[in-house]
Amino acid sequence: MSEPQRTPFVDSQLEAAAQARLPGSSIGWLQAARRENLDAFAASGLPDTRMEAWKYTALRALGQRHFASGDEQAASRAVDASAFALPGIDGPALVFVNGVFRADLSRIDALPAGLDLQPLSQALQGDAEPLRFALSRHYREGGDVFARLNAALAGDGVVLRVAAGAKIAQPVHLLFIGAPGEVDLAWHVRHVIELGEDAELSLIEHHASSGDQQHLGTQVADIVLRKGARLRQVTLQDAATGSTLVRHDSVQLDAQAQASLYVLELGGALVRHDLHANLAGDRSRLETRGVFVLGGRQHVDTQMAIRHQALNTSSESVWRGVADQRSRGVFRGAIVVAEGADGSDASLSSKNLLLSGQAEIDTKPELEIYADEVKASHGATVGQLDERSLFYLRSRGIPLAEARSMLTAAFCRAVFEPLPEEGLREHLYHQLMAHLPSA
Amino acid sequence: MLKIENLHARVEGKDILKGLTLTVNAGEVHAIMGPNGAGKSTLGNVLSGRDGYEVTEGSVTFNGVDLLALEPEARAAAGVFLAFQYPVEIPGVNNTYFLRAALNAQRKQRGERELDSMQFLKLVREKLKIMQISDELLHRAVNEGFSGGEKKRNEIFQMAVLEPKLAILDETDSGLDIDALKQVAQGVNALRSAERGFLVITHYQRLLDYIEPDFVHVLADGRIVESGDKTLALKLEEQGYAWVTDKDPVLHGASA
Amino acid sequence: MTPVTAPDDMNTTMTTETTDRSDLSATTLRDNAEVAAALGRRYEAGFVTDIETDYLPAGLSEDIVRQLSALKKEPEWMTEWRLKAYRHWLTMPTPDWAKLKLAPIDYQSISYYAAPKSGPKSLDEVDPKLLETYDKLGVPLHERAKLAGVAVDAVFDSVSVGTTFRKELAEAGVIFCSMSEAIREHPELVQKYLGSVVPTGDNFFAALNSAVFSDGSFVFVPKGVRCPMELSTYFRINAINTGQFERTLIVCEDDAYVSYLEGCTAPMRDENQLHAAVVELVALERAQIKYSTVQNWYPGDENGVGGIYNFVTKRGDCRGNDSKISWTQVETGSAITWKYPSCVLRGDRSVGEFYSVALTHHRQQADTGTKMIHIGKGTKSKIVSKGISAGRSNNSYRGLVKVEKGAEGARNYTQCDSLLIGKKCGAHTFPYMEVKNPTAIVEHEATTSKISDDQLFYCRSRGIGEEDAVSMIVDGFCKQVFRELPMEFAVEAKKLLEVSLEGAVG
Repeated sequence: MSEPQRTPFVDSQLEAAAQARLPGSSIGWLQAARRENLDAFAASGLPDTRMEAWKYTALRALGQRHFASGDEQAASRAVDASAFALPGIDGPALVFVNGVFRADLSRIDALPAGLDLQPLSQALQGDAEPLRFALSRHYREGGDVFARLNAALAGDGVVLRVAAGAKIAQPVHLLFIGAPGEVDLAWHVRHVIELGEDAELSLIEHHASSGDQQHLGTQVADIVLRKGARLRQVTLQDAATGSTLVRHDSVQLDAQAQASLYVLELGGALVRHDLHANLAGDRSRLETRGVFVLGGRQHVDTQMAIRHQALNTSSESVWRGVADQRSRGVFRGAIVVAEGADGSDASLSSKNLLLSGQAEIDTKPELEIYADEVKASHGATVGQLDERSLFYLRSRGIPLAEARSMLTAAFCRAVFEPLPEEGLREHLYHQLMAHLPSA
Repeated sequence: MLKIENLHARVEGKDILKGLTLTVNAGEVHAIMGPNGAGKSTLGNVLSGRDGYEVTEGSVTFNGVDLLALEPEARAAAGVFLAFQYPVEIPGVNNTYFLRAALNAQRKQRGERELDSMQFLKLVREKLKIMQISDELLHRAVNEGFSGGEKKRNEIFQMAVLEPKLAILDETDSGLDIDALKQVAQGVNALRSAERGFLVITHYQRLLDYIEPDFVHVLADGRIVESGDKTLALKLEEQGYAWVTDKDPVLHGASA
Repeated sequence: MTPVTAPDDMNTTMTTETTDRSDLSATTLRDNAEVAAALGRRYEAGFVTDIETDYLPAGLSEDIVRQLSALKKEPEWMTEWRLKAYRHWLTMPTPDWAKLKLAPIDYQSISYYAAPKSGPKSLDEVDPKLLETYDKLGVPLHERAKLAGVAVDAVFDSVSVGTTFRKELAEAGVIFCSMSEAIREHPELVQKYLGSVVPTGDNFFAALNSAVFSDGSFVFVPKGVRCPMELSTYFRINAINTGQFERTLIVCEDDAYVSYLEGCTAPMRDENQLHAAVVELVALERAQIKYSTVQNWYPGDENGVGGIYNFVTKRGDCRGNDSKISWTQVETGSAITWKYPSCVLRGDRSVGEFYSVALTHHRQQADTGTKMIHIGKGTKSKIVSKGISAGRSNNSYRGLVKVEKGAEGARNYTQCDSLLIGKKCGAHTFPYMEVKNPTAIVEHEATTSKISDDQLFYCRSRGIGEEDAVSMIVDGFCKQVFRELPMEFAVEAKKLLEVSLEGAVG
């Protein structure tokens, strides 16, 4: 391996780290973990496209950019959080502006019994020991460069715990607002989420923007579902068109736990989402359903890896992508069935529409199977709208442009159909339609 | 209303229609019969403007307008409706939503006011009653998971809602059992009126037992080789298509 | 929204030539004086006898490359070509092994030129296990000695058969000879096409091959000629000891057709650990090349000791409009296989196909697949891959379907199925799809399953033994690929799977 190039980006972040005043700086193990990850970040620099995990996402341009660390003004920026309210969602909410917790915009006063929800900055002031396992993680995978950066620099985020047996009725809304600032900012949030045995939670992760900006946001989330716990998570990513957003989510499912993860990727200039799910307990079940709708010069890269490690686990993944204009959609969906994980049942579908001669879709479903009592399948397509369906619609009098958007919407909508929260589902449809190319 | 003159059309470089002439007036029901490969379905597809069908000669006017110059949706708005032989399944597009979008798009193109959802629902209920179709059909995606009979009935139901001036039924009887056939025919008969013309394309006479035509034409090798009243259909049923094609000097010469 | 049916029309245009020559046994030609004469000529012009030294010392340097070229009496341009490749090779890092596990290879410990070793003197000296396998596969007696590496003089008959075929080919205008001979006799053709599909610096092993290739086959089918026979028949008997760095070039001019079968269904005695072959195919306007491979090199024993490393670069260039290249492979041998027979679909409406059966057992590792690069308009490709893993083996499909901007209306359909036999093996699928044209349709489907207990039980309850039932089910699993093979080899390929699967159950 050759020496990594020191880019303006890496320099700006090292500089930021040197000046950072992060909460929990008196906690020895935390400081050590931050240091280790920072050193690893400095040593590796940004990956290039020869690295498999970054094959389709070049970071050269990002490497030339300079981001200031932390928004000094974040606590006082005028932001109208009500503009991002979601229909039917009026339960607990944590709101962050440029990565900084805003108590004034949040709703955590009357939390239901069994729900512990607080910003990381606050949690670190109390007993940090329960966070030790998650926060002392060292990101060793070569591609996890942003997770390293996040681990070194994140000073805020979400700490959420649901007590064993607690069933939280109201969905919890986590809102991350990017707000325009004087310079381009880098912000980092770190989440630790745990559902106790048989606990139930519906969670909304919402990325939005209060105005045009070109910030870099990173997020690392560790989600653990104890035995029999159930999580439904909806991610609505509608970040500013100029922004860069990198998310790294790890989900662990113990025995009989169930997670349904919905993702709608709409915004951002450069978006990367790593989703690692580990079916660690017998009869755990995972469902992932996602859509990206891209235009302009957007680049959205989803890298999903699902590991079946226990008996009789199942996973089902349904992903759809639409790329128009000069955009590029990248999807990797890997299913790994470990030795001995008999009774695994895994399926994955990645279907994509390429709508423009300047756009590109790269999709790579993978199966890696080390057990034989397995049902595993995947399918992927890249194509266009079906000509026969288009003609059928037109023969009934629907103009071509409208017929196209109807079929494109139908292509994407199917992904969200199982979502039970009707208001939220309609909102996602609405957002999706608004992003579809109109002709 | 519909005037087809000397129509020649080709598909994938192969001439299918070779000089077809036919006039359909409002209020008339014309049956087009013919052996397999005669060009029956091509006629339906050419009239509704499907891609891949190239008209090489001849003309089609619809109420004086050059139909062939119109996009498929404009033909629909002008009042041409094709009931497909194989209606396509469109997963994810709700039947009601689809139908309302179609109706309003047509109304818009004709400069009429669009229906709001209340008005539309009222209309749909009315039509459902006439067609004797359960409203469960409305909640499903367009044709998805429909049985053969349900698909055909859905086509006729769409026709009832869209109220075209000219309805082309492309082998609507194919794949139907006798009960389904009767239901579809009933639906069609309910829509017969002095303002509406029908072009019923079929291989078998049996559909015409239920939808009584005013005229019957035999299409063979891309042209109409024989025309008559409904008794012609009965004769065909008895004697087969060879009777007509043998009579035709061109075809007879070609096959000899 | 995109249709999911396989495009049937991809399958129909190339008919399989089934010239069944296997019964044309050597006896019909025995005692033919011409044969002896032809044999002499062949070795004057051919693979072995014009070599002055028996071997080169181990190691690789510019000097060795020069000596090798000199030994083969190559013209200056060829020596330079090799040197260029060697210099490029020096700059290349060893490949990243993806899913393969192997000890580093010491390229300086290999001797890059050695006359074939003399081997056993008669069949009596050959490992009885090997002979038993030939028996099971139904290998004709006159071929067994050759396969087992018995000295050439002892297999007089088979050579004569080949020579006869060669005459027939010459009459049709088809050039079919060793690469060494082609370099001397047809330099203009070799210079025009060699390295035009797989450039010398294409990848680590292609560069190494270009520098040190020992020999291989050259096929040239001129304009409008349909090669009158399966080149398999000839090849099977003759072109076996082409060494570890084999180089093959097949060119079909406009409207020409050839079907070529490489390799052999029977396990071959082989002293070499590393095989790094390069195969280049060129199809001009409307030309069609069908290339079939049956690879059954020594896979190593059940503990993974020994066995061949098979690192092959195979690529076809559909250079002309409406051309077609079809790869069919049955891979059951080698300890490690790393090969991706590919098609560059440059001509408009050109067609690429890849049909593969890869079976791994014991500790074998196979990483194989294809690349379909759609450049021309209306290009089509079809990929059918069947992987069977048994024992502690690992079997990966790795494929790329790339649609370039200009490939209007390109169409690909890929189907990858894996079958697992046993709890310790692995089956993996890594398809890459890169699409830049909005009128293209690319589809991939993959499944992984095991032979179900229900299927096995059903067979057994009808009186079929477990191993036979497994063979039957595996054969059914591979049908789609076997039917692409020339007839006589399809039968042997089926038997080969049976033999390779022995002991996989229970």
